[in-house]
Amino acid sequence: MNINEELVRRITEAVVKQIQSPKEGQSGRPAVTGGERINAEKTSYASYPRAKKGTDPKEVVIGVGPAFQKEITKTICGIRLEEVLDNLKAGIEEEGMVPRVVKVLKTSDVCFMALEAAKLSGSGIGIGIQSKGTTVIHQKDLYPLSNLELFPQAPLMTLEVYRKIGQNAAKYVKGEPVTPIASTNDPMVRAKYQVKAALLHIIETEQVDEQTGIIEWEGK
Amino acid sequence: MRLIAGVDIGNSTTEVCVGEAAGDGRIRFLSEASRRTTGTKGTEANVHGIKAALDDAMSRAGYPVSDLELIRINEAAPVIGDTAMETITQTVITESSMIGHNPSTPAGAGQAVGYLISLEHLMQGQQGTPYIVTASAKHGYEEVAGEINRLQGVLQIEGMILQADEAVLVENRLNKKIPILDEVREIGMVPEGKLAAIEVALPGQPVRMLSNPYGIATLLELTPEETQTVIPIAKSLIGKQSAVVIKTPHGNVQENKLPAGKLFIKSDRRHVIDIDEGADRIMELLKTAGAVTDIDGEPDTNVGNMLSGIKKGMAKVSHEPEKEIRITDILAVDTLAPVEVGGALAGETCMEKAVGIAAMVKTQKLPMQQIASRLSQELGVAVKVAGVEAVMASLGALTTPGTKLPLAILDMGGGSTDAALIDENGSIRMTHQAGAGELVTMLIGTELGLSERAVAEQIKRYPLAKVESLYHIRMENGLMRFFEEAVDPRYFGHVVLLAGDEMIRIDEGIPMEKIAAVRREAKRKVFMPNAMRALSKVAPGGELRRIPNVVLVGGCAEDFEIPEMLMESLADYQIVCGRGNIRKTQGPRNAVATGLVLSHLGGN
Repeated sequence: MNINEELVRRITEAVVKQIQSPKEGQSGRPAVTGGERINAEKTSYASYPRAKKGTDPKEVVIGVGPAFQKEITKTICGIRLEEVLDNLKAGIEEEGMVPRVVKVLKTSDVCFMALEAAKLSGSGIGIGIQSKGTTVIHQKDLYPLSNLELFPQAPLMTLEVYRKIGQNAAKYVKGEPVTPIASTNDPMVRAKYQVKAALLHIIETEQVDEQTGIIEWEGK
Repeated sequence: MRLIAGVDIGNSTTEVCVGEAAGDGRIRFLSEASRRTTGTKGTEANVHGIKAALDDAMSRAGYPVSDLELIRINEAAPVIGDTAMETITQTVITESSMIGHNPSTPAGAGQAVGYLISLEHLMQGQQGTPYIVTASAKHGYEEVAGEINRLQGVLQIEGMILQADEAVLVENRLNKKIPILDEVREIGMVPEGKLAAIEVALPGQPVRMLSNPYGIATLLELTPEETQTVIPIAKSLIGKQSAVVIKTPHGNVQENKLPAGKLFIKSDRRHVIDIDEGADRIMELLKTAGAVTDIDGEPDTNVGNMLSGIKKGMAKVSHEPEKEIRITDILAVDTLAPVEVGGALAGETCMEKAVGIAAMVKTQKLPMQQIASRLSQELGVAVKVAGVEAVMASLGALTTPGTKLPLAILDMGGGSTDAALIDENGSIRMTHQAGAGELVTMLIGTELGLSERAVAEQIKRYPLAKVESLYHIRMENGLMRFFEEAVDPRYFGHVVLLAGDEMIRIDEGIPMEKIAAVRREAKRKVFMPNAMRALSKVAPGGELRRIPNVVLVGGCAEDFEIPEMLMESLADYQIVCGRGNIRKTQGPRNAVATGLVLSHLGGN
């Protein structure tokens, strides 16, 4: 197959157009061509309460990405982020632990997001979730790029998997053995979703606001 | 300078010892090596393993293999062991009358009694009737809790049974707290309109009412006759976290006794014993039976199939016709196996009675001469079949500091437990008993319900620990151990085996204490009776007290707890018993190979 730069550029443009189309729920801003940003405006969270370190030993903190439920409302495979969050929280609750949601504006990297959440968590266990759906379970004492569990293939995630991620995170708090979550693997996923993933990541990164840091996100 | 190698071919490992015969009639030991035995012990396939081990040992000594003057191999004991296990009871639920399992998170401790009704039919419920509501997984927790809250004022809802793992989620949203059981896979099979009792135990405790026949009778108002019939139900609910008992007119849980069959022991006459009588009675009969010539099982019964399976396997290995194979010793052990209950609604298991048997077959003389000539051909070194295994092991064991004649060795291997007694005059008595390490592995695997034998084997070998945080573990003796660096998160929360510096994760969610208890019990059940049996056979006049020294050798003597168990019980007979330390350096290994090199002196 003859792939040249021109073709890649055209595909990118087509995907951007689709993502930006009004029926996807976003306001019809001009396409990326020529512009520096996908979303011209940056949402300011300066007035939001800053997230504090929790003291409840049963707490599991979920750290969501900067664009979560705002610029991005669905994961890369189209699951509504409200439902994702509800299932993560339900999983934690079913195991008898207490969920808390914060928005990490410092970074758009899922591992750092999870680590920040873990550091704020009363139990030291946190979940990081990017707006496109990639999820990591982290522990406050680990190195940023190591983790307890990583779910890298966001396009294959389902609500059941998010529920189980919540349950597993809670089990780490309780020191119970965690059964690895059976997940599907599709070698074609990378190829199929690469452009979309990259764009979603750009949208997320645009909203990074190191000044504001981390804010409480429960109830928005 | 003359180099001599001793080669010991065992059931699982081939060991080599290299020594130098100096001019003054002394032997200087140079090196040793150990390799996995290739093929079945006593067959030509062993040659590969022998060569590899020789290469290893000679390169350590710093000489080529061709420098060897003589290789001495052992006359391997002509016994092969095998093991088998069969359950002899079986629990079947003939009608859905019971659910008892351990969901990880039930909710709302307590008991409740009511008539079963599904969430869909709850609207048609009658006022004043107590209900237990069942809900399938298609109803979310919000919906279930909303529905119950809405109707709780009108109807009397006492408890719930859920298919999904959502008991805590539902309970957290209820205005009135009730016991809730979840993760019941076959919720559709729960009959509506029947009276049921439900119990959720307090955290860390098993159910108390429903595992007690009178408790069931109290909750379901049973007559004395009916109470009689719920005994198997109560029995199979012992130790569960949560349970449901449903009162159905014919509903029943049966404990079937499988046709386990009879065991025939042939000596001077034929002894018959029913397997149901248990392992102790079988072993007692075996003791009184005298010299056993063959052991057989009743055809087409569990034990019959078990023994004929063993014989078939042995016939294949030893290339002898099946009719010629004679089982001359068995070790029977009572055990329990978790078996899934027939007709269960939530994947319940029940501990069924089982018997594990290790059998030992005496074959004709093993073709050691063939191995010797093939080895001699391939290496160009003289090879001699020298000495009986037990004698060589005794000679090797004598190199342990602190030993004197008369000396007994207890060789605990994989397939058999052997004992030999050598006295001041050099005369030797020996015996081979069925049952050793392999049987322990099988018992561990069975009682813990492990699907892989390799896991059971590892559990047998290594001590346990639980990874409580990323920076510390708790060992099975209760001590904590801390780490500077985080342990791999894959181990977090899991029970692990400490294999040297490495950890092996146990994936089955079995508590550490249970694994440790089962492991110790399995070792005790096999090695205690076998050590006593073997030693009293070689003891002068059958009296254990007349043996002053017992040296433990063989693979199982390296175990981290078996030698201590034996030491403790043999101390009662005033016997000095301990793990061998061959040549002051080798521990319990290499006894036979060392004995073979030593015997070169005496032999010439």
